[in-house]
Amino acid sequence: MRLLSLIGKEFLLLRRDVHGLALLFVMPSLFILIMSFALSDRFDSHNPTISYYLIDLDKSKASRALIQGLAERIEFRRVEAGDSDMKSLLHKARDDGAQFLVVINADYLQQLMNDDAALALHVAPSTDKVTAQLFKAFLHERLSAVYVQQSLQEAFGTDNTDSDFGIDMQQALTEHSLYTGDAGQQQIPTAVQQNVPAWLLFAMFFITIPLSTTLIREREQGTLARLRSMGVGNYQFLLGKLVPFFTINMLQVGAMLLVGIYLIPALGGERLEILGSVGALLVISSAAALAAVSYALLIANLASTTEQATIAAGVCNIIMAALGGIMVPRFIMPQFMQDLSQWSPMAWGLDGFLDILLRAGEIADVLPEAGKLLALAALLLIIASLLSREQTTR
Amino acid sequence: MIKIESLAFSYKHSKQPVLNGISLQIKRGSLFGLLGPNGAGKTTLLSLLTGQLVSPAGKILLNGADMRRIDAQDFSLVPQDYAFYADLTVHENLQFFARVQAVSRADLAARVAEVTGITRLEDKLGSKAAHLSGGLKRRLNLAIGLLNRPSLLLLDEPTVGIDPHSRRFILEAIKDINAKGITVLYTSHYMEEVEYLCDEVAIMDNGKVLAQGSLPTLLAAHTGTSITLELRAPLNAAQLHQLERHHTVSQRGRLLTLEADGEAPQIYPIFAYLESLEVELVRIHYGTHNLEELFMQLTHRSLRD
Repeated sequence: MRLLSLIGKEFLLLRRDVHGLALLFVMPSLFILIMSFALSDRFDSHNPTISYYLIDLDKSKASRALIQGLAERIEFRRVEAGDSDMKSLLHKARDDGAQFLVVINADYLQQLMNDDAALALHVAPSTDKVTAQLFKAFLHERLSAVYVQQSLQEAFGTDNTDSDFGIDMQQALTEHSLYTGDAGQQQIPTAVQQNVPAWLLFAMFFITIPLSTTLIREREQGTLARLRSMGVGNYQFLLGKLVPFFTINMLQVGAMLLVGIYLIPALGGERLEILGSVGALLVISSAAALAAVSYALLIANLASTTEQATIAAGVCNIIMAALGGIMVPRFIMPQFMQDLSQWSPMAWGLDGFLDILLRAGEIADVLPEAGKLLALAALLLIIASLLSREQTTR
Repeated sequence: MIKIESLAFSYKHSKQPVLNGISLQIKRGSLFGLLGPNGAGKTTLLSLLTGQLVSPAGKILLNGADMRRIDAQDFSLVPQDYAFYADLTVHENLQFFARVQAVSRADLAARVAEVTGITRLEDKLGSKAAHLSGGLKRRLNLAIGLLNRPSLLLLDEPTVGIDPHSRRFILEAIKDINAKGITVLYTSHYMEEVEYLCDEVAIMDNGKVLAQGSLPTLLAAHTGTSITLELRAPLNAAQLHQLERHHTVSQRGRLLTLEADGEAPQIYPIFAYLESLEVELVRIHYGTHNLEELFMQLTHRSLRD
């Protein structure tokens, strides 16, 4: 009965903590909405992500074949610029209207065969190096193909300028997922698949702020001393915090998944599909919630004032989030940062959620991440409990 | 009866002991006043009595049994702070603390009505605790302490920071509670409260009990040992030094105390000296007339120092 009273009291206090609830539910919802829409192009591998202007100064059959080849690639998107001349297109590209300006020079084929400049590629300032190299590599590949074709034509008198010798290059390379073994399995998350679990985890760890605020207030105002004098033990007291805040974390999981499943599509975004099992979702959510609440209990027992706890929680959460692929997805981090991110509990949680949302994972698939989170939770809980006992007996 | 024997306690990171082998006896049904300046060890003593701290040395016995083995239901602590939840209503606070103390659902309403009747909070049950005045918060603090119908009530400065009207109400409530047979241990800075309320008093300082007994006995035992002169303006350091050459004196604000050292102090040369300084004498006290003077005499400082 005593434990139930402690839990009931915590829910009552939480219900009246409007700012705390906003932090736990409104903040991640907004982050999910904003980031999912803002980064939808960046994450979506089905839509063209490389944009370019094109000027054809040659206007030959060969140049039209090159234009056609570019148009057939779904990852490239030509930005139409009407009748803009070279100068105005250069200006637009410099203003990042597109990532590249491709100029097919006059006598393109002749220039190519004479080892002169057949194409000119202008790179916009915001284009990253990897994208530029990728696009250049594609153009080189096209130019090489045309060169070979033209050489063959000259040698054998055949005309193959508008084909790749009948070879379907897409068939030359097959893709296999290392996770499930299914060919073509998608490995990079969409904006929704990345942002829903990422900001959910971020918000789950922010449980530290309302939890530490109530616990430190109880300590400062003598309520904790009063409870202890009434026979409330250390473990009972901690359990009275752990259960309600764990429940709040689980409610956050439900609410943020609903945002991904219903709210984002209602606003025109992509719907979050839960490809994996609900059991796996429960396992990883529970493990992440236990880790978050234990972490919150530790901070609350380490900090002397609510200000200290708020600052410590805020700073630590942001570092864990930056490191753990919440703010910057891990797949675009350099390798050493990806290695470093393995130390962030948020990364463990995110990996677990992505196993389910992206790779159709089952319970067994999320056990490694859940295990790490539970081990961390146990460690933090033991330290928090010792500190709590220490504070009582000073 | 509470019997405290040779109780000692030190905090882990402190070199000085907070309690230095104190012994006390508090009679069953009494209203016992514990006086001492900040840092005297009063709150630590209460924490030891309620089992929040554990003493490595000494004994605390309640009716002959080790206090550590006493059920928390037998006593109640009313801390100095507003030890309740500001965001809950008066009723929610009372319900919560009653449930924590295992008051059954069937008894809950009656118990809440009982303590709100004593503290006159019946009309405030729906008010958020944060919105109560200082006096009403003190009453709520007291009401929570009565929920378990304790046989021993430990009150830690229960009237700090409230208006005279609320203070009077709380003092009367405490008298009524004591009249029902509940033993009350009352700590306070306010000596006039202790004088008004308590049958017996203990004066603590630096972790020691300097004196214990009924107030008339204590005052009688310490009467006639000093003369206190109340001056219009305090003496400066040089003037005081001049006096100290011939007398055992101490000055606190405008009060100049002359210690008798077993003999009557030679008062007339002092009068002459003050007159030569043109320092006006407002009042003269001889001996110990009230608890405050007794306290100052024993501790050589004011409670509010």
